[in-house]
Amino acid sequence: MNTLSNALIPRRLRFESQLAFRHLLSGGGQTLLTVSAVAAGVIIVIFITSLIFGLQERLTELLTDAIPHITITVEEPAPAPLKEVPGASEGASSSLIEQQAPQLKFIDNWQQVVETVYTLPNVRAVAPVVSGQAFVSKGANPVGVALVGANPALQDIITPVTKNLIAGKYIDLASDEIVIDAELAKDLNVATGERIRLTSSTGATDSFTIAGIYSRGQGRGNAYVTLRTGQSLFGYGTSVNAIYVKLIDIYNADSVADRIMALLPYEARSWTREFPQFLASLQVQTASAYLISTFSLVASGFAIAAVLIVSVLQKSKQIGILKSMGVRRRQILRVFIFEGLGVALVGSGLGAIIGMTIVFLLSLFKQPVTQVGQTPDPLFPVRILPFYIALAILAAIISTVIAAVLPARRAAKMNPVDVMR
Amino acid sequence: MSEVGILTESERVTASGAPPVVVETRGLKKTYSGKVDVPVLHGIDIQIRAEEFVAVIGQSGSGKTTLLNLLGALDVPTGGTVLINGIDISTLDEDELARLRSDQVGFIFQFHYLLDEFTCLENSLMPITIRHGDVTEEERERIMSLLARVGLGDRMDNRPDEMSGGENQRCAIVRALACSPKIILADEPTGNLDSRSGEEVFELMREMNRESGVAFVMITHDDRLAQAADRILLIEDGLIHEISKEEHRERMAGIARERAVLRSGVI
Repeated sequence: MNTLSNALIPRRLRFESQLAFRHLLSGGGQTLLTVSAVAAGVIIVIFITSLIFGLQERLTELLTDAIPHITITVEEPAPAPLKEVPGASEGASSSLIEQQAPQLKFIDNWQQVVETVYTLPNVRAVAPVVSGQAFVSKGANPVGVALVGANPALQDIITPVTKNLIAGKYIDLASDEIVIDAELAKDLNVATGERIRLTSSTGATDSFTIAGIYSRGQGRGNAYVTLRTGQSLFGYGTSVNAIYVKLIDIYNADSVADRIMALLPYEARSWTREFPQFLASLQVQTASAYLISTFSLVASGFAIAAVLIVSVLQKSKQIGILKSMGVRRRQILRVFIFEGLGVALVGSGLGAIIGMTIVFLLSLFKQPVTQVGQTPDPLFPVRILPFYIALAILAAIISTVIAAVLPARRAAKMNPVDVMR
Repeated sequence: MSEVGILTESERVTASGAPPVVVETRGLKKTYSGKVDVPVLHGIDIQIRAEEFVAVIGQSGSGKTTLLNLLGALDVPTGGTVLINGIDISTLDEDELARLRSDQVGFIFQFHYLLDEFTCLENSLMPITIRHGDVTEEERERIMSLLARVGLGDRMDNRPDEMSGGENQRCAIVRALACSPKIILADEPTGNLDSRSGEEVFELMREMNRESGVAFVMITHDDRLAQAADRILLIEDGLIHEISKEEHRERMAGIARERAVLRSGVI
C-alpha cells in the first residue's frame, strides 16, 4: 500500500495525501455519508441516462426499422408566380397560383441513381421500388391497400418483412405471388396458398397467390410484390417511382440526403425531415435527462460541502497546530481538496458499479409475450452507455471537488492563534 | 528588577564567546483590535541566546502567550520588530513565515495537540513530513532514538488516545525537536500534567536543552520550574522585566506571607 501510493503520488504531495487519507479513514460515518452522497448522485445519473437514452434508442429503432431512411423521388415542380417566370410579358401578374395535378413520376435512369448512391459513405442498401395504391378482393368486397413492388432481398433490408412473417415466405417471391399483412388477411379471411384479385390504381388487374403473411403489430401494413410485377401493374415499364435508401448511421441521414440532392436531380427526403415532431420529443427527453442529472449532482455537491465544512470546523485545532509546524496555506487547501477527491473517486466508482447493476437487473425484466414464437421485448428498454457512465463519473468528481473548495479555502485561511486560543 | 536592554550590533560583536542570539525583539507591541482595542504588549525588548533556558512568568492574561506566538512568528506584531535568527519577520510573506517556523522554531503547548489519526512515531516525524513529503531512513532512526531517549521506545506505534498525558507531551517534545530548530517555545507544557509527569517532562526539556543547545522559552505558573531555568522573565502590565532568582524567591516568599496574613485575618 505504502510503496504503491509512493509510486503514484509525487513526493511533495505525500504529506497532503497522507493526511487527507487518514482524515477520511478516521472520519467513519462522515466519510460514509459523503461517499454515499456522491454514489447516489452517480446512480441517479446512470439510471436516468440509461433509461431515457435507452428508451430513445428503442423508439428510434422501432420507427426507423420499418421505414426507409431516405426516400428518393422525382421533385414535384412548385408553381411560380407569373412575374417570376422569365420571358413573361411585362406587367403580367397572377391572381391564382394552382398546384399542378399529380403526375406519374418516373425515375428512368434508376440503375445510375442506385450506383451513385452506393458510392456515398454510410449507405447500407439502396432499393428501387414501385409503390402505389391498389384494391384487393376475395369474392365481392374490395379492400384498399398500399402496394410495394420491390426486390425482396433488398426490401427486407429497407423494411423487414421476412423477420415478421407469421406464415409463408417473402424471399424468392414469384411474379404472381404476393405477401400481405395479418390485418388484411383477417379482413379478407384468407390464408397462405389462397388466391386473391388485385386491381391497381391505374386499372390493371391480376390475380395473385398469397405467399406469406406478416405482422409488425403496427396496424395495416403494405402488400409486397416483386419489382417486375409492380412495374407492370402500375404501367412503369422499366422505370420506378421511388428509390429507398437504408443507412448504417441513422443520425447522419440529413447530410446523406443533402449529398444525394447535390449529385442528382431528384428529391431526397431523410426520415428526420419526415418526422420532425418525433425528433423534437427526443430532444425534450434528452434535455430533461441532463436537467435531472445536473440537479442530482448539484444536490450531492451541497451535501458534500456541508459535511466537509463541519469536518473543517472539527479539525480547526489540528489546522492550527499544523500551521505552527510550518504547514503552508496551499498545503491545507490541498488536504481538503484531496479529501473531496478521495470521496469523489470512491463514491463515483461505487455509484457506477451499483448503477450499472441496477440497470442490468432492470434489463432482465421482459414484457409478456403476446404471440407464440415472438422474442419478448424488455420491459425497460435500458442501455448501459459507457459514455454516459464516464460522463457521470467525471461530472461527480468535478462537482465534488468544487464542493470541497469552499471548506478547504476556509481551512487554509484559519489563523493558528485564533483557533488554538 | 532591571529592564532588559537592547544590545547594539557592536555590543553583540564584542560579546563574542557568548552563544549567538536566536530570537530578539525590539520595542515589540501588540494590540488586539476588535470593537474595543485591547493593548497587550507595550514595548518589549528581549534577547534569547542559544543554549539558554528561559522561564516566562506572569499573571493570567498578562500577555505571555501573545509574546510566545510573536516569538514563533505565529502572529504578527502591531509595533516593533521580531528577529528570528537575525531575520525580521515583518519582511516575510506567509509562505516564508511558514518556512521559517518549520526551520527555526518548535512549539510545545499545554495540550499535546498530537494528530489523533497518526501514531506516536508518525506524529514525531510530522514536521519533517510536512517539509519534505516523506522521511529518510536516517531521519526516521534519529527520531526513533529520540523517542527511545524520552522513554517512548515501546509506544511508537500507539496513537495519542492510547497513551497517557505525560507520554503524549514527551512525544510532543520530540516532535518539536524533529527539524532541529534553533528555539523551542513551550506554553505551559506541564500545566495539564500531574506534578510527577510534569517534572519528568520538564527534566526532559532541560536535558534536550543541555544536549543539543536548542534555546527554550517556557511559560510556566510553576515557581519551582521557574527556579530551575537559566533566566526568569516577568511580564507585568504589558512590559517585561528580567528578575534574578533571588528576586523571584523573595516575590514567592512575599506572596506566601500575604496569603498567610490573609488566611489568619479571615480566621
